[in-house]
Amino acid sequence: MAGRPGTNQTSYSPSLKTQKGRPPIFKDGDTDWVRPDGRGFHQCRPAFIRTGAVNAASGSAYAEFGNTKVIVSVFGPRESKKAMMYSDIGRLNCNVSYTTFATPVRSQGSDHKEFSSMLHKALEGAVILETFPKTTVDVFALVLESGGSDLPVVISCASLALADAGILMYDLVASVSLSCLGKNLVIDPILEEESYQDGSLMVTFMPSRYEVTQLTVTGEWSTPKINEGMQLCLDACSKLAKIMRSCLKEATTTSQE
Amino acid sequence: MTWLDLALNHKGMDRIKGIGAPPIPKWSLLTRVLPFAFSCNLFCAFYFCAGMVGLSLGEKHFIQGGIAQDLRSDGRKRLTYRPLYVETGVIPQANGSARVRIGATEVVSSVKAELGKPGSLQPDKGRVTIYVDCSPTAAPMFEGRGGDELSTDLSVALQRCLLGGKSGAGAGIDLSSLIVVEGKICWDLYIDCLVISSDGNLLDTLGAAIKLAASFLISFVTDMRNSNNIILILFLKAALSNTGIPRVHVAAGASGDDNTEVDISDEEFLQFDTSDIPVIVTLTKIGRHYIVDATSEEESEMNSAVSISVNRKGHICGLTKRGGAGLDPSIILDMISVAKHVSEQLINKLDSEIAAAEAGEEES
Repeated sequence: MAGRPGTNQTSYSPSLKTQKGRPPIFKDGDTDWVRPDGRGFHQCRPAFIRTGAVNAASGSAYAEFGNTKVIVSVFGPRESKKAMMYSDIGRLNCNVSYTTFATPVRSQGSDHKEFSSMLHKALEGAVILETFPKTTVDVFALVLESGGSDLPVVISCASLALADAGILMYDLVASVSLSCLGKNLVIDPILEEESYQDGSLMVTFMPSRYEVTQLTVTGEWSTPKINEGMQLCLDACSKLAKIMRSCLKEATTTSQE
Repeated sequence: MTWLDLALNHKGMDRIKGIGAPPIPKWSLLTRVLPFAFSCNLFCAFYFCAGMVGLSLGEKHFIQGGIAQDLRSDGRKRLTYRPLYVETGVIPQANGSARVRIGATEVVSSVKAELGKPGSLQPDKGRVTIYVDCSPTAAPMFEGRGGDELSTDLSVALQRCLLGGKSGAGAGIDLSSLIVVEGKICWDLYIDCLVISSDGNLLDTLGAAIKLAASFLISFVTDMRNSNNIILILFLKAALSNTGIPRVHVAAGASGDDNTEVDISDEEFLQFDTSDIPVIVTLTKIGRHYIVDATSEEESEMNSAVSISVNRKGHICGLTKRGGAGLDPSIILDMISVAKHVSEQLINKLDSEIAAAEAGEEES
């Protein structure tokens, strides 16, 4: 990598030119195209999830969905330093942060401030706050690598970490996002698909109670498309929740051995 | 009856003037502190509710019962908006501005256009930045950092509704029409909104204000003539202000260097087509029914709310669910159809306001 004398390039930097050449693949709505990682349109990425990733935390979980790697740790219930006010129900404090090396171009990760409040809204419907009055449960999510569909992975991983911490919840929260590329709906988009999407739909779902805790739609959608998109997402969420449950069961059986 | 009920009733009774002070029981100290703290915390959890609305149990039942019978506290039906007052061109220094008042909620929005450089990831698109500021005049808790969370939530929700997907499809504001020189110069639209007074339903009001401000902004038309020097002519017009944004000649050097001369003159203009900008309709679910345009008291009672942005064609341009409670998916789909129905009247109302203001401007 050392530059020869005479060349002005002394270090390697990935060229951004490749991004411009990509668009034609996704814009062609009629012809059949294959997704870059070979999945079908309605196929999610294989999920790797483990609990107990962080020793110091009350509960933690690590999730890897393709190239999206997220680690969430839960601390609490513990005394809240921020709030001085008495409250007879517990408080949930969520924070989502990106590492500086998470994105392809090194960034401060500052344009995702709203993810923290979205994570809070997704989880507060599921956590039984009355069981830990006067205290706070802190949920800290760290995105190690952003490979597309980050917030849904963070939400699913966070609910798993809360379960690992022993916080009482009504149900596990599973979350899936869907991208609209031309006329096609692709589920669980990767970063490349997300940058060319015409619209996106993210659903956060509690399968056993059949309740949606959060729903976000961007882009232009007609009603039948939203119907179809929601059905796909709810279906994927139910399957994801089953995977999460089996992961929790495995964790308890291995700890008993 | 739990101590909670007693606490709430105690607060309610205090507010009825003319009735003597209730007998003070032994747990009096606790109850004097609790109701205030309880209402502060519980209602702060509903992000879009500004100000602490303390309601007694009786008032809550009144609101919920009324909504179930299609009669709200101010006499409206469930799907009726409060009267809408609109004023455009309130900020002469901005390229476009509007002030909208729905009931007691008042917001001012301004649109400013400045020349800037497009981002490296999207060199053929201009940029739009939406920022909402909640001023302390609306509620004392907005002072300093207090209003930050609400501001961020509102800004993100507006960006989601108005700017569409990342590829630009479905956007209310067409970003590719904001480009001047591809890769070098583009228009940066700064949309700044100020919340002056908040009585519920901030998002709808902000959406309407932005739509009005932008429609009185103008249109950017680029005309490229092929010659040795590429000359781009921009036509800008501010419909309402006499100091219209003038025609700008941008001469790019033949070598394509960054030094571009900007020559400004006064000329003719064209209308920015903002009929595609969607309106935002917030449906608040209280009990088993939905209401449109909730006041802050009604918002404090809500289980959850869904803000849906619908454009003229009846397509959904953005959707945000607020509130922590879970909703059955079929209810959400039902809310979408109700929102489409309600948005038609709102769009018609705003269009007539725009037409009236344009007619007024042509006369002068």
